[in-house]
Amino acid sequence: MSLALYTKNLAVGYAGKPVLEDVNISLNKGEIMALIGPNGAGKSTLLRTLARQLNILNGNIYLDDKDINEYKRDDLARKVAVVFTDRVKGELMTCKDVVESGRYPYTGFMGKLSDKDKQIVARVMEDVRILDIGDKDYNAISDGQRQRVMLARALCQEPEIIILDEPTSYLDVKYKLEFLMILEEMKKKSDLTVIMSVHELDLARRFADKVVCIKDGKVDREGSSSEVIEEDYINELFGISSELTDYARDKQISVL
Amino acid sequence: MKDKRITRYILAFIILIVAVVLLFALNIAIGSVRIPLKDVISIAVGRGLNETYSRIVMDIRLPRTIAVFVLGGALALAGYLLQTFFHNPIAGPFVLGISSGAKMTVAIVMVILVGHSIKITSGGLIIAAFVGAFASMGFVLLMTRKIQTMSMLVVCGVMIGYICSAITELIITFADDADIVNLHNWSRGSFSGMTWENVYVMSVVVFITSVIVFLMAKPLSAYGMGESYATGLGVNVKMLRVMLVVLSSFLSACIVAFAGPVSFVGIATPHLVKWLFKTNKPIVMIPACFLGGSVFCLFCDMLARTLLAPTEISISTVTAIFGAPVVILVLINARKERG
Repeated sequence: MSLALYTKNLAVGYAGKPVLEDVNISLNKGEIMALIGPNGAGKSTLLRTLARQLNILNGNIYLDDKDINEYKRDDLARKVAVVFTDRVKGELMTCKDVVESGRYPYTGFMGKLSDKDKQIVARVMEDVRILDIGDKDYNAISDGQRQRVMLARALCQEPEIIILDEPTSYLDVKYKLEFLMILEEMKKKSDLTVIMSVHELDLARRFADKVVCIKDGKVDREGSSSEVIEEDYINELFGISSELTDYARDKQISVL
Repeated sequence: MKDKRITRYILAFIILIVAVVLLFALNIAIGSVRIPLKDVISIAVGRGLNETYSRIVMDIRLPRTIAVFVLGGALALAGYLLQTFFHNPIAGPFVLGISSGAKMTVAIVMVILVGHSIKITSGGLIIAAFVGAFASMGFVLLMTRKIQTMSMLVVCGVMIGYICSAITELIITFADDADIVNLHNWSRGSFSGMTWENVYVMSVVVFITSVIVFLMAKPLSAYGMGESYATGLGVNVKMLRVMLVVLSSFLSACIVAFAGPVSFVGIATPHLVKWLFKTNKPIVMIPACFLGGSVFCLFCDMLARTLLAPTEISISTVTAIFGAPVVILVLINARKERG
């Protein structure tokens, strides 16, 4: 198997101040990586840097063995797509308009969609099961639908890697399952590599091939989900005190 | 759905074009001397029989009307660019103080040059206005680092506008000269006294700028969805932002250089056009805003000239009456959407 992505002594942060340092992670093609860790640990910062939305403070990121900074903007947009937590600011846009915007790196100078572009949009909308809401106003749909529209938009870029920042956090359980099912289907269908941050440890454990734990400005642990996600370690990672563990046990709440 | 939308675009464009043609003709026909439409047409094709009519049309009304058409379009386009740039529905060259900044530098340059009995050219006016517009824009951009909410940004812009206007008034008061009367009229906003040289220069400048804006329609559509998504789609966001700042300042400067600050056209027109077309796609919005701004200004200038004739009302008085309610409606709707 070949590596889709790896980093070398990567430091990420804002305005020259590092949030995470010495990040050395790697991911095979067609695998799913989950980033876990406490709030504010730097998961989003890392994801934004991997998508080249923030400048690298130190070290390197390699996609397909090529330094990420050597990619042209268009080429990178055809390789990496993102679903972030920021809402699309579309005004008077239908869901289909939003999805179509994902074809941007492929369209010509004035952004007109070719027949092939339209076919891809239609196919992706079918895959993600949003054909029926295509004509609805993007601002008038539910959170769960919106998240699928965002996924479709990203998939229209025909990326090899998709980067998602807490894609399931605001969804109810039905939408959560639906979203993950579609993502996994896409992964199988087009050998998509997925990097996502999640808060639901249970989902991370069952869904991800690889889990990366972030804490105190560094990658604390990296490995297969069964290796990493076990109770003692999770308590340590999230700083769950023994008092809290007792309380959780008392109330029969599972942290996993 | 798609066909329906395209039909709507075509219909809306036809409405705008008809309105432009109609108002254009009316602006030439109506005034202190009423010129029958058939004479307007015969003058337009170069066969005017009435010498007085030809004079009025060719020397006064035609250059003025063309100027209103060009500058009105430029103003609306500047407003649209600023609203896109700031993701802010109530941005515009006037409320952000950009017009007033341009006004200040133009006034300074004029007073200095009048003092030395040098006549300023159209190009010189534009450059002077651009310096002021750009300085104000720079100031507003500095503010955005500290201020995130859209209403506070506008309040700051209005304050910048007041400061610049106060300085302008001061300059005008101190420099008492015969030419200052003109300067005073201009500083309140007016399309009167356009020469053919003015019209020629502004048309070339605005045309070139508008074409550049239109060619940026694709990256602008991505930018409108938010900066992180635009970056993800391969847009050079930094470069685009610089272009937006320069182009919107330039368009604003053009208007101020020739007509002084004109309020509410830049801020209101994009919304009216959006409602008419039911879209925010730049590729449609850019030409539509231009035409919409022209219609708005042609209509308002006609009223400004005729309502209290022979006295002329300042153009901003009229544009405010029609533009300000639109802004209020936008604010009410924005509140509703956020719940």
